[in-house]
Amino acid sequence: MNFNARISLPASVRAGEIVEIKVLTRHPMDRGGQSDGKGGTVPRKILNRLTATYAGETIFRLDMHTGVAANPFVSFTTRAIETGDIVFEWREDGGATYTRTARLTVT
Amino acid sequence: MSSAISPRSARTEAGIDRRSLLAGPAASLLAAGLPPAAAADTPPDLAQLIARVTEGAVPERARIRLEIPALAENGNAVDTRIRIDSPMTPAEHVRWIHLIAEKNPFPDMARFHLGPRAGRAEVATTLRIAQSQKVAAVAALSDGRFLLAEADIVVTLSACIDGG
Repeated sequence: MNFNARISLPASVRAGEIVEIKVLTRHPMDRGGQSDGKGGTVPRKILNRLTATYAGETIFRLDMHTGVAANPFVSFTTRAIETGDIVFEWREDGGATYTRTARLTVT
Repeated sequence: MSSAISPRSARTEAGIDRRSLLAGPAASLLAAGLPPAAAADTPPDLAQLIARVTEGAVPERARIRLEIPALAENGNAVDTRIRIDSPMTPAEHVRWIHLIAEKNPFPDMARFHLGPRAGRAEVATTLRIAQSQKVAAVAALSDGRFLLAEADIVVTLSACIDGG
């Protein structure tokens, strides 16, 4: 599967600071409905959900429909609490999931 | 129309589906509930889509900014940013932000779920805009109120028309 994610975070932040997290994902986000050339149609296959978990809680969730571009980009913010992993989980149509983590260093 | 193009895109959010909204008596009820001003400057289709996500509540047009280019050469990737003026405390925060494009084959584009842990109510993404139209961002606040921002966009090269 053609999936790859680039997550960008500041190298280190102070506790309490607001951090912007940018996530760029490589995914075709097939919106479906096109002809497959054999009389059928291509099924929809997009990443339909991105969940981010940090310091014991879900901090962000994005529900995506076909209106989100191919290779989806998303940016959101969170307040720095403690040094730890931010876990990203994508859910794809068909049930596949992809997980990546990014370390947030809090001083 | 959305079912033909996106057969698997059944709405997961609770709510009334659009066909029954248009056909049933709910349509007249919802239309009656809209203030004359909102009904006048919003195309009826978009007004109905907004009423569906707010469950009939009338959103305020304040404290929310929808930053989207007025002219997009390529509708396949339109950079969009939404900022809301909110303290983002446990008592007062933005619960979610919903993006609607009335003329897209599937008008619901995305929903961002936030909470007090976000610290700031600001999100960005890239969208597929099928054609020139009005795009709306609806935000739900923790106190049960809704905010609305709309923006007109002209698309030169449309998304979702050719096979690509």
